[in-house]
Amino acid sequence: MQTLLAEPFTYMYMNKAMLSGVLVGLLCSLLSVYLMLKGWSLIGDALSHAVVPGVAGAYALHLPYSVGAFFTGAAAAEAMLLIKKFSQLREDAIIGFVLSVFFAAGLFIISLNPTSISLTSMVYGHILNIRDEDLWQIIAITVGTLSIIALKWRDLELVFFDETHAFACGLPVNGLRILFFALLTAAVVVSMQTVGAILVISLIVTPGATAYLLSDRFGRILWIAAAIGTLTSFLGVYLSYFADGATGPFIVILQSVIFLLAFLFAPKYGHIPQWLHQRDTLREKTT
Amino acid sequence: MTLHDFFAAPLSHEFMQRALLMGLVVAISCAILSCYLVLRGWSLMGDAMSHAVLPGIVLARFAGIPLAIGAFLSGLACALLTGYLHSHTRIREDTVLGVVFSSMLGLGMFLFVALHPGGHLTHILFGNLLGITDINLWQNIIIAGVVAMIILLKWRDYMLYVFDSTYARVTGLPVPLLHYSLLILLTMTAVAAIQAVGVCLVVAMLIAPGITAQMVCRRFSRMLIVAGFSSVLACVSGIYASFHLDASTSACIVLSQAVIFMFACLWRRLVDIHRSTARQSKALLGNTNTLAEKGV
Repeated sequence: MQTLLAEPFTYMYMNKAMLSGVLVGLLCSLLSVYLMLKGWSLIGDALSHAVVPGVAGAYALHLPYSVGAFFTGAAAAEAMLLIKKFSQLREDAIIGFVLSVFFAAGLFIISLNPTSISLTSMVYGHILNIRDEDLWQIIAITVGTLSIIALKWRDLELVFFDETHAFACGLPVNGLRILFFALLTAAVVVSMQTVGAILVISLIVTPGATAYLLSDRFGRILWIAAAIGTLTSFLGVYLSYFADGATGPFIVILQSVIFLLAFLFAPKYGHIPQWLHQRDTLREKTT
Repeated sequence: MTLHDFFAAPLSHEFMQRALLMGLVVAISCAILSCYLVLRGWSLMGDAMSHAVLPGIVLARFAGIPLAIGAFLSGLACALLTGYLHSHTRIREDTVLGVVFSSMLGLGMFLFVALHPGGHLTHILFGNLLGITDINLWQNIIIAGVVAMIILLKWRDYMLYVFDSTYARVTGLPVPLLHYSLLILLTMTAVAAIQAVGVCLVVAMLIAPGITAQMVCRRFSRMLIVAGFSSVLACVSGIYASFHLDASTSACIVLSQAVIFMFACLWRRLVDIHRSTARQSKALLGNTNTLAEKGV
């Protein structure tokens, strides 16, 4: 039994996969808290689609793919702002349109040179055969993001809660916003390799939403989200070894299960405690 | 390549004829629905719905029942679950939508890997318009036809509901019925469109025609017509482009929609510029007239 449980750790590729999974989970869950507070969850979705043509194009041209990803991510943001400026269309329609067009552009590039990058590795991610330089990239991006968040988490919090106040305090609001988007793009690029392009949305939405059900204090929400992101990514990779299933979907399902548990049983905002509380107050009133 | 080669040669293949027919039907029903979605603010609902049908499709294929039924049930589950979670927590609606549809997408992919229902996941995710079978073709023509007919019969009722639901209720329209039926029509259209362009790109079919028409028109009836034309044009040119370039069909359709939208934006800009210069010259003319009246 013990040898079976320890078996995944004996393989180098599993160790690498677990390490990169944990780092990516940690990274995305921290950013998800900020996104959720601002109501930008779907901007994260848009960004995760928008980097696809960049990655596909960079593969085709033999460039490092983060360069391409940053380029098209910025282009998508610019396109959304431009359309917003010149039309009276609703914001959600603009986001949906731009993200699908960019995704289609990525698909178009891939279908023109099918050998340069396989569609399935884009969709599923390829965490189980991650290359050493990819792992180093993930480590570098995680360390960078963590140190920026450790230093600036309060500034970012203020910018996301109340921009006007942050501006009045003398914070460089625009600079911080651009910094955040750069971090988000980096996180999206690395998580695309681990869970695939279309499941990134789960990593950058669910941990934040779950933590928000469990606490009211911002600092604590960050810790809880980080714990959820790390734990689910680790368990997802670990369990997928035994289940022989795709790793990305496994991580996503674990996160959803934890969200559902929090929704039902969270001490203050959970469904069942609230329901019990309501029943008690009703009873007190009637007696 | 002559003109004949370009336009007629693809039509000699039976799969191209089928693809064009399917594209036409899906394009029209998506276009009609997209006008309502865009005005109602449900664009991202379409996105979520189209991703959430994946587990239904996989299970239906595994159980051997028509894909449309599984997809429909699964899309409906997403809509109801989102509504329920949103009304019982303090989390924003867009976040809840993100959580629900990404979990269902993950579940669908997991089920696909676990059950091996046959076929390619990439065909479900990115569409397989050129390889569509006869049964699927007829199934989708019926679905899309029913959707288009229901909406066109009741287009004014839905229009009022979309613009101002309070007013619709005051005039005695059955607003909850309109709300849920529109949601059901959305799911049905998404199901039909998925077989044409795939889960990932349905959202473009459901948004692009509506926003293109919104850029050009001011009247809703005209918007429906423009959306229909732009959607059909995008579909046909996309299918031709994909045949000649040997590229992904769904990607070509969506990219042609983007090109048409850009032309619509340009048109809007030109009209605005024209109007403002016309107004300025009119104002100038008015000024000189009044001056002349005063005898200056």
